[in-house]
Amino acid sequence: MDRILSYFDMLPWFPENTSTFGGELDSLFAIIYWISVGIFFLTFGILGYFLVKYRYRHDRRGYNYHGNNVVELTWTVLPTILFAWIGLYSDDIWERTKYSSRLPQADVQVLVMGKTFGWQFLYPGADGEFGRNAYTDRDNCRKLITGLNPFGIDSTDPRSMDDFTTENQFKVPVNANVVMHGSSQDVLHSFFLPHARVKQDVVPGTWMNIWYNIFKTGKFELACAELCGGGHYSMRAEYEVLSKSSYDAWVDKKVAEAIAARSPQPTVAPSADTATVASLTK
Amino acid sequence: MSTATIETATPVAHEEHAHEHHHDLPWYRKYVFSTDHKVIAKQFMLSSLFFLFIGGAFALFIRWQLAYPGKPVPVIGSILPATWVTEPGSGIITPEFYTQLLTMHGSIMIFFVIIPFAAGMFGNFCIPLMIGTDDMALPRLNMWSFWLVPPAGLIMLAGFFTDTGYAAAGWTSYPPLSAMTGLEKFTISGQTLWLISVFLVGFSSIMGAVNYVTTVLNKRAKGMKLFDMPLTVWALFITAILVTLGTPVLAAGLAMLFMDNFLHTSFFLPDNLVTSSKYFGGGQPILFQHVFWFYSHPAVYIMILPLMGIVSDVMATFSRKPIYGYKAMVFAIAGIAFLGFIVWGHHMFQSGMNPLLGTTFMLSTIVIAVPSSIKVFNWLGTLWRGNIKFSTAMLNALAFVSMFIIGGLSGVFMASAPVDIYIHDTYFIVAHIHYVLFGGSLFGIFAGIYYWYPKMYGKMLNERWGRLHFVLTFITFNVTFFPMHVLGLGGHMRRIYDPNVYDFLKGLSDVNEVITIGAIGLGFAQLILVFNVLYSLKNGKRAPRNPWRANTLEWAAPEHPGHGNFDRDITVYRGPYEYSVEGRKSDYWPQWEPGASKTVHHHTVAVEDDSRSFGSH
Repeated sequence: MDRILSYFDMLPWFPENTSTFGGELDSLFAIIYWISVGIFFLTFGILGYFLVKYRYRHDRRGYNYHGNNVVELTWTVLPTILFAWIGLYSDDIWERTKYSSRLPQADVQVLVMGKTFGWQFLYPGADGEFGRNAYTDRDNCRKLITGLNPFGIDSTDPRSMDDFTTENQFKVPVNANVVMHGSSQDVLHSFFLPHARVKQDVVPGTWMNIWYNIFKTGKFELACAELCGGGHYSMRAEYEVLSKSSYDAWVDKKVAEAIAARSPQPTVAPSADTATVASLTK
Repeated sequence: MSTATIETATPVAHEEHAHEHHHDLPWYRKYVFSTDHKVIAKQFMLSSLFFLFIGGAFALFIRWQLAYPGKPVPVIGSILPATWVTEPGSGIITPEFYTQLLTMHGSIMIFFVIIPFAAGMFGNFCIPLMIGTDDMALPRLNMWSFWLVPPAGLIMLAGFFTDTGYAAAGWTSYPPLSAMTGLEKFTISGQTLWLISVFLVGFSSIMGAVNYVTTVLNKRAKGMKLFDMPLTVWALFITAILVTLGTPVLAAGLAMLFMDNFLHTSFFLPDNLVTSSKYFGGGQPILFQHVFWFYSHPAVYIMILPLMGIVSDVMATFSRKPIYGYKAMVFAIAGIAFLGFIVWGHHMFQSGMNPLLGTTFMLSTIVIAVPSSIKVFNWLGTLWRGNIKFSTAMLNALAFVSMFIIGGLSGVFMASAPVDIYIHDTYFIVAHIHYVLFGGSLFGIFAGIYYWYPKMYGKMLNERWGRLHFVLTFITFNVTFFPMHVLGLGGHMRRIYDPNVYDFLKGLSDVNEVITIGAIGLGFAQLILVFNVLYSLKNGKRAPRNPWRANTLEWAAPEHPGHGNFDRDITVYRGPYEYSVEGRKSDYWPQWEPGASKTVHHHTVAVEDDSRSFGSH
C-alpha cells in the first residue's frame, strides 16, 4: 500500500524545509494533498464506473429521476464540514505566521529594500538598534531616500554610525527569530525564501513584517516572486545561515567596515564608537 | 406576466421583423453589421478562434524559452522582429519581450478568447433560441457588443508599434510597474493601449450582459417559467448579472491607471520612489489590486459558469436523463456567483494586505468549494443509471467535469492562506488556472461548439475528426499542465525568463521540457478543430432539425434558422430535462410538445388525460 501511495506522492518535490513554521505549512499542504487524492480517486472512480456501466445500449433507457433532497443535503453538509475544518485549521497557522500581533520577539532585525533588480539589506549593527531611517522615522526620513541611500538613513544620528548595508546577500544566525521589515524603492517585489517557506510582497511606501527562524546552517537563495520588469528573473540574492558565533564575527567585521567608511565625517569620534561596538558584541 | 412570444409581440415589431426578414437587406447588414443574434454569435466564435491562435502562439514562445532558455526559437527564429530578440536574426528572445509575451498571452486568452466564447458566443446563440424567442431584446446594442471586440483586440495588438512594445506588466497589470513608465505625458505606450483595449471589451461585456438579463426576463416563450429554463440559460443569466455588477468597477480601476500613465496623476504611486519618472506621490499601489480583483475574481466565474450550464445540458442529452437536482444546480450557480464577490482578497494573501483580512477571505473562499462540489456530485448523479452516448460533445463535457475536479481541488490549496504562502506566484497557480480555464472552460467551449454547430450552420461537424481532436487535446493538455503542479512544488516562480539562474530550480529543467513538448502538441491539435469547423461548413452532413433528440427549444427551430428563428409558435409545457419518461415511447419529451404528466417520487410519468396539470418537478 505504501508503495502504491508513493507513486502519487508529490511532496518530495518540495525543496528541503529549513524554518520552524515551514514544517507546519508543509504538513498542512500534505493534509490537503492527501484529502485531495482521496476525493480524486473517489470521484474519478465513480465517474469511470458510471461511464462503463451505463454506456449506451440500444435496448436500455435512461432512468427518469430528478434528484433527492436528502442526497443533496448530504453532499452539501459533508463538504461543508470538511472544508470548514480545513479553513479553521489553516487559520490557526495563518494567525501564528502572519498576524502582526503574533510577531515574535526579534533576535535579529534587518530592513530589506527591493529595487529593480536587486535586494538591499540594512543591519542595525552592534548596538542592535537602527538610527533614524525611513523605517524608524518614517515622516522625516522618507524624503532622504535616493538610489545611494535606499533606506533614507539620517547620517547625523549617532546610532546610524554602525548600521551597515549589504546588497544581494545577507546573513542570519541559526535558531534565531529574524524579523525583517521590507519595502521597495520602486515597484512591487516579493521576498521569497523557498527553503524557509517565506513569501511576502514588498510595497513601496509601506513596510511589511517578515519573520522566520531557520534551524539549518548553509547557503540558500532568495528570489523575487512578483513580476517587476524585464530583469525580474535575475532578481536573485544569496543568504547564509551561520552559527551564532560566526554571525557575530561577521557583524563585527561589517560594523568596522561601515564605521571606517563613515569615519571622515566629523560628527562622532570614531575611536569611541569602535570601542563601544567591541564591548557590545562580546 | 413576464413572458412574451412571437405572437404576442406588437404589430409594429411584427412589421419590423418582417421587413428585416426580407432579402432587401444589403450584404453588410446581413453578414457584417447584422443584428441577428445567431450571426453575432458566429462572429464571436470566429474572432475568438482567431485570438485563440494568437494567444496560443504567444504561449509557445513562452514555453520555448522556459524549456530551452537562451536557445534560438526554431523555424521562425531568424525572421522575428528585431525588437523581440537579443540581436537581429539571433532568434533568442529578450527578457523584456518575454514579459510582453506573458502579458499578452494572459490578456488575449482571458479578454478575447474565453470571455467572448463563453458569454459572447454562447450567450448570443443560446439565450434567444433556448427561451423560444425571435431575437435579443435589444438587437442593436447586441451588434455593438460584438463590434467593440475586434477594434479592442487590434488596439491591444497595436502595442507592437509603440516604442515600448506590447504591455509588459502581466495581465493583472499591477502598479507601480504598470504606471511608472517614465514616459512623457500623453505618450501612447503598449500599456495605455492595453488599458483602452480592456476598457472597450469591458464595455462590450456590459452591453451584452444588459441584453441577456433583459431578454431572459422579458422574452421567454409562452408558458416558460424561470424554472423551466435550461441550465445554460440560467448560467448565462447569472453570469450576465455578474458582468453588470463587476465590470464597471474594473473600468474605474482601468481609468485611474490610464490617468496615472497618460496624465501623470498618481492614484497608485506612493511618494519618494527611486525612479527616472518625476510624477508620483500620495497613491496606494494595493488599492489597484483590490479594485482589479473585485472584478477579476467574479470574471473567473464569468469564464466558467456559462460552460457549467452548457456541460449540464450536454450531459443530460447524452445520458438520456434529467439533470440530477436541477434546482440545486441553479442555486449552486447563484451561490458561486454571490460568493464570487466576497472572495477577491484570496489573490492578495501575500500582497501586504492586513493578514486579518486574509482570515476573512480564506474562510469565504473555502466556502465556495461547497457549491462547486454540489455541482460535481450532481453531474455524477446525472450519469447514474443513464444511457450514455459518447459523442464528441459528450466527451468534451466529461473532460470538463473531470478536469474541473482537478482544478477545483488544486484551488483548495491556495484557498488555505498559509499553504498559499509558499505556492503563491509559483507554477502551482499557473497549473490551477489552466486546469480551470483550459481544462474547464475550453473543453466546455468545445462541447458547446460540437453540440450547437448543427443549429448554427445546418451542418454536422465530422465526428471522427472531432474525436481525434478531443483525444489529442485531452492527452496533450494533461502532459502540458499537470507537471506544472510539480514545478510549483519545486518553487518555480511564474513569469520568470530563465529558471537556470536559480540553483534550487536546476532539477526541474526536464519537467519544463516535457511541458513544452506537450504544449507544442496541444497547439497543433487545435488546428484539427479549425479544420473541422471550416471543412464542415461546406462538406458536413446536413443536420436534421433535432440531431441529438434533445428537449430544449432551440431544436424546435428549423435546421438552419433564419432571422426570427422559429417557423412555428412556441409554447412550453414542461421543464427541459424530461428524458426517458415512463409511459412514453420515445426517450425524450421536448419542452414544446403538448402532453400531461404527473410526478411520482421524483419520477415523471406521462399520463393520457390532458386535463391534468402540466409541469414535472
